[in-house]
Amino acid sequence: MAYSGFDIQQRYRYGILLCGLALGLMLLRMLYLQTIRHEDLYAQSESNRLRVQPVIPMRGLIFDRDRRLLVENRASYSLSVIPAEISRTHVLSRLATALQMDENEIKQRMAKNLAGRFQPALIKRDIGFDRIAVFEEQSELFPGTIYSKDQVREYHEGLGEECLTGYVGEVSPDEMKKLDPSIYRPGTMIGKAGVEKYYDRELRGIDGTEYVEVTASGQLLGAMDNAAQIPAVPGNDLILTIDNDIQKAASEVFGDFCCGAAVVMDPRNGEILALVSKPPNDANVFSSVMTNDLWQSILTDPNNPLLNRPVDGLYPPGSTYKLVMAGAALETGTIDRTTMFSSCNGGYRFGNRVFHCWEKRGHGRLTVVNAIEQSCDVFFYQLGLRLGLEEYTKFSRACGFGQRTGIDLSQEAAGLIPSTAWYNRKLGKSGWTQAVLLNLAIGQGEVLVTPLQLAQFYCGIANNGRVFRPHLLRSIIGPDGRETSKGGELAFTLPFSKETLQILREGAYSVVQGPSGTAHGARIPGTTVAGKTGTAQNPHGQDHSWFVGYAPADNPEILACVIVENAGHGSTYAAPAVRNIIKAYLNKHHLPGADTTAVAGVVP
Amino acid sequence: MPFGLRQLDFDWKLPTAALLLSICGILLIFSAQYYNDDANAHGLYLRQLFWLIGALGTFWVIISLPPRFFDFFAYIFYAVMVLLLAAVLVIGSTRMGASRWFVLGPLSFQPSEFAKLAVLLALARFFAYTKLPPASKRRLALSFIMIIIPAALILKQPDLGTSLVYFVILFSLWYFSGIRPLYLLLIISPILSLVAAFHWLAWTIYLILLLAVLFLGRPGLLFSVVVTVVNLGFGMLTPLVWNHLADYQKMRILIFLDPGQDPQRAGYQIIQSIISIGSGGLFGKGFLGGSQTRLEYLPARHTDFIFCVMGEEIGFIGGAVIILLFGYIIFRGLKIASKCRAHFLATISWGAVTIIFFQMVVNIGMALGLMPVTGLPLPFVSYGGTSLVFFWILIGLMVIAERHWQEH
Repeated sequence: MAYSGFDIQQRYRYGILLCGLALGLMLLRMLYLQTIRHEDLYAQSESNRLRVQPVIPMRGLIFDRDRRLLVENRASYSLSVIPAEISRTHVLSRLATALQMDENEIKQRMAKNLAGRFQPALIKRDIGFDRIAVFEEQSELFPGTIYSKDQVREYHEGLGEECLTGYVGEVSPDEMKKLDPSIYRPGTMIGKAGVEKYYDRELRGIDGTEYVEVTASGQLLGAMDNAAQIPAVPGNDLILTIDNDIQKAASEVFGDFCCGAAVVMDPRNGEILALVSKPPNDANVFSSVMTNDLWQSILTDPNNPLLNRPVDGLYPPGSTYKLVMAGAALETGTIDRTTMFSSCNGGYRFGNRVFHCWEKRGHGRLTVVNAIEQSCDVFFYQLGLRLGLEEYTKFSRACGFGQRTGIDLSQEAAGLIPSTAWYNRKLGKSGWTQAVLLNLAIGQGEVLVTPLQLAQFYCGIANNGRVFRPHLLRSIIGPDGRETSKGGELAFTLPFSKETLQILREGAYSVVQGPSGTAHGARIPGTTVAGKTGTAQNPHGQDHSWFVGYAPADNPEILACVIVENAGHGSTYAAPAVRNIIKAYLNKHHLPGADTTAVAGVVP
Repeated sequence: MPFGLRQLDFDWKLPTAALLLSICGILLIFSAQYYNDDANAHGLYLRQLFWLIGALGTFWVIISLPPRFFDFFAYIFYAVMVLLLAAVLVIGSTRMGASRWFVLGPLSFQPSEFAKLAVLLALARFFAYTKLPPASKRRLALSFIMIIIPAALILKQPDLGTSLVYFVILFSLWYFSGIRPLYLLLIISPILSLVAAFHWLAWTIYLILLLAVLFLGRPGLLFSVVVTVVNLGFGMLTPLVWNHLADYQKMRILIFLDPGQDPQRAGYQIIQSIISIGSGGLFGKGFLGGSQTRLEYLPARHTDFIFCVMGEEIGFIGGAVIILLFGYIIFRGLKIASKCRAHFLATISWGAVTIIFFQMVVNIGMALGLMPVTGLPLPFVSYGGTSLVFFWILIGLMVIAERHWQEH
């Protein structure tokens, strides 16, 4: 027999014993709950109800680099209803009158924020204390409604900061589908754009839970004693790289012009000191209760205030792109420091068409440094033709154009660098000629860049070819006060040798400081500024004015890139705008020898 | 007897008990979702009814098959199920963070349920035919390997509750196949050590007890030394294991040890479950009359916490009926295992009882606040088609074993 040890009947008896004990224990436990504890538990199930409520944590604050508040929270109240209890009683119309809302609107809100028939659904937020007092006094008229303390985000106005801070709003059903339901509840506030969106998980904290007892009619009895509350964990505070003084200066350089963008960076580490989008939006309006009329007026505004111009706005780079072209030509051996092409007489004949130089009188014969200084189009037409489209595309991409910079914002445009394949797809194989190169060589034509990409490229020029990833976050401060710093991250290196960079920097230097430079308006007594002007052709009206400048020219600490829409030549408006921004920086940091007197207004 | 009628030749009492439980289940699912506005949820009881019809059909097929069929296919079935378990990890559909389901049109199917059956058949075949003596190392090792493969795959899904079932089957069949209880105790002693090591005092007392048992039981010097060393090792591993558990698993253990400390909603489940059962009293609030059920305070009330619906609406009477029906099935199954003259079928019957008993104790124990929340369904009663079909197959196997009854 295979069995050994002890016999089958004995095993059977032990089995019966074990099972019998377990079943008996369960019966006894059930009897205990249903007789001795019955009265107590019955009372709990009938007259008292346990409700689980989320405790919303304080959203993290956002500071500038000098720890000045950029975004804070203001206390307010919000009102929710328990759908199951509202449908049974007829408080809906009363509620509608008290909140000055439509009954249908309340129903829509209930449907949108429904988490469960017995879970509070948010109806209205940002209610003043005076109106909440009415609910408090007459709570018996409004069974099934709950009000709770809430917070509303407050943003600085007028400094154009919404383009980086973004704003918050109620999570939409579409967003809910993609989010982790254990962290995001329907109706919760979530970052909708900018830093608020990108760093939402840092800022939002962790919801707490409290158990509250309510009576059969839904009136709050208070917290349950024997169930521990889980406190909410406040969100982390963010310290941004933004300098509010620079931000203020940068937001003021646009004068009467409606639209434009400014990017101010530290080329040594990629920190963004200011980011301005004109016209600005008021993030407070977006974060609170937006009326339909206001929304319509923003949507239909011809100046398109919703476009976040510094990172999402696309423009032809104009002559600012000549440094990319010159660098590519020097690197490929197409030209060297002394190469001169045929003389500029104010135009260049290609096929049976004349391409004009911006200077009708012509520049004569120039070397590359002088061509940059005077922004001679004819020189670059010839350079572009010799360089060829393949090299153009290759070097443009290697300089960071045509792709996102990876800045810590959720929405960023990639721009467009045309290539042979792109033209073939767009115009057909025989639909275009090498003539496109003439336009591309002076930054016109199909090419599109964002102000941030241009700033990033010039940061590389200023910083010996090393390009740090543009970023807005300097450090994170946890609720315990512990600070985690985020350093600069090397994104890529420009595809230029030391000699090439030297030539390009000489060119940029003479644009501002040279005798025939196009941007004398960017000069600052006491320091040297280098940069490049640009004019983006605009088929719909006046050209856009570009200037990218950095200072001091030999050891750059600050770089500003400004585009002013419809302001004409780069030299006329954008260059003095950049001067004012750099000046604000120098004033603040008291560089030895810098002129610290205030600059009054903008010289057109 | 003519072959066509052999399936009628069985004792109807066992399937009748299972059928009563299944019908209770459908009524309770109906009640649990009666007030739900969602038409899909409201109709869950109908789906369960269709599954029951399917399960009864499967039962009929099972008892029509000759016993040789099962021992012939045991290993092949086992191999197929292991492959399916591996496949579900890769291509299965993910719900609530676990990839346990294959979805075929409107039906979804959990291979882990049938893997239990495959493991049971394979182990029974192994134990019934092996010539190795009960306590031989090779026998223990081979049978351990047979369960550790599917258990590991299921643990990966992740489904701790179901993979625990495999270890329980193995342990129970070791016992049934004749290993001395002392050896069994020593074999699982490292796990006890792991648990005891949460507190140094408990661990010290445990170690003293272990040494006393080793001294008195004299299982052999080498064996004693190995057991002691492994116990020490496992005890010291505890912090490591703890850190490896998923947060929800830690939470469940913590809440079970101390329900007052309630860091998440799992404690809420236990509180609501106890309120539901206790408020039912001796006779309950009446069918469809449970306020806890109606007001949706009970989580997972048609699946894991279905026993609470019975406790609230029919009271102690209803709960006792369910427990007694299980009691009948369990005692009958044990009796069959002890009387069946075919060793293979006897082992299957013992294993089937083990699964039913373990899942029942864990599920009802959880509802009564006696066990941690594990998410194992209540056999025959909880909503879930695969589980229902699986338990009816077990009943079918027990019926086959019953035919080989032999009075000594």
